[in-house]
Amino acid sequence: MAKPTQQVAKLKEGTVLDHLRAGTGLRCLRVINLPPGTTVTIGINLSSKRLERKDIVKIERYELSEAEAAKIALISPDATLSIIRDYKVVGKHGLHPPIAFRGLLKCTNPACIVHTERVPGAFVVESREPLAVRCDYCERSIPADQFVFA
Amino acid sequence: MVTARDFAGRDVLTVGDFRRDELLFLLDAADKFEQVTGTLLAGRVVAALFFEPSTRTRLSFESAVGRLGGSCIGFAEAGISSTAKGETLADTVRVVQGYCDLLLLRHPKEGTARLAAEFADVPVVNCGDGAHQHPTQTFVDLYTIRRECGRVDGLHIVFAGDLRYGRAVHSLVHVLTQFKAHVTLVSPPFLRLPQEQLRALDETGVEYREMTDLEAAVPEADILYMTRVQQERFTDPAEYLKFRDAYTLDLEILKRARQQVVILHPLPRVTEIATEVDAHPHAAYFRQAHYGVAVRKALIALLLGKAEKIL
Repeated sequence: MAKPTQQVAKLKEGTVLDHLRAGTGLRCLRVINLPPGTTVTIGINLSSKRLERKDIVKIERYELSEAEAAKIALISPDATLSIIRDYKVVGKHGLHPPIAFRGLLKCTNPACIVHTERVPGAFVVESREPLAVRCDYCERSIPADQFVFA
Repeated sequence: MVTARDFAGRDVLTVGDFRRDELLFLLDAADKFEQVTGTLLAGRVVAALFFEPSTRTRLSFESAVGRLGGSCIGFAEAGISSTAKGETLADTVRVVQGYCDLLLLRHPKEGTARLAAEFADVPVVNCGDGAHQHPTQTFVDLYTIRRECGRVDGLHIVFAGDLRYGRAVHSLVHVLTQFKAHVTLVSPPFLRLPQEQLRALDETGVEYREMTDLEAAVPEADILYMTRVQQERFTDPAEYLKFRDAYTLDLEILKRARQQVVILHPLPRVTEIATEVDAHPHAAYFRQAHYGVAVRKALIALLLGKAEKIL
């Protein structure tokens, strides 16, 4: 008897986000500004040699912007982004949180000056595992589960 | 080796930007500047943008600048600045920096000084940004500790009162990680030192403990650093009153203290130090305020690149 497999359909053209931490797939989708009508396939809690369990998101005919890819890296560090054309992988790289960045997130400290001035937030990664960033202005630490995306 | 050039043109945003040897250099400079008056800063203008009330910080800076022959411009409350018309802080800084050689900034929001420094070509000095930091107060506190105790290293410092919103406490605790201090934190549970500060103490191996009973903490203190429970940080007046009187230092409690204990307070005080304590020989909080002029003279001269003549 053939071994049962879990499988997400192959993509002809678009973007694959693989090795997402289990349970983060939907959160990743929320930070991507998809045009209405975009076809998305998502696998949640799939078995994985690398992670034991993982999520996968496949987006047809869409390539992520730099900002979107950076947000995915903040949600699921070390995920893999592949660009697919004609069923072939034409580009593939790991998504790693930057050391420091502007925008992407909002400072969660209501007393921080960024909320009253028209400037993007500025952050420094304070810890990679578990992931946490620090607002460059008020120096408040923000753990990954409290990230609010800009 | 630290020299005066390491300070010229620099911003003073958080105490974390200063190493131990730089802090000690500043304290030595303050010693040399204490009696200095004259025209070292002739023709130089310092702008003070105070969006929150200030007595000691603003006046001691104005005194420092005036005694060195410079001049001050600025405002002492937000209502009379263009922010009342909706102007952003960034725009205010962009304009005012063209009128001055150095900018002093106090603001109720956190992170303000760092934002201002992004838009200013002149040095920016954080004079207090919300509950975040007050670095020049820390410099004054360190200087006072050294003047009153003869040293900074290895002292047992008891902080009491509002440790949650007290930016002077946050800045000083941060710096003490570089001076091998023992720290006792005395506060109501609601006003504990924030987690970020406690984590910094854990990471640097500073010995500390938290207590709620001031009287029990007093006997071990080399320094008692009292702080005001800040009404402006409370949205609920009833809650403020509940905590305000929680910690009052008086002569009765001081009977339990070491003979050489030094009593500090960043001021203003309300009820946390009884007036009967003022005559105590080691009640140093008014001297602490006065030392602020020496420290600020040295700091401004260093930031404007004018200190080498004196040092």
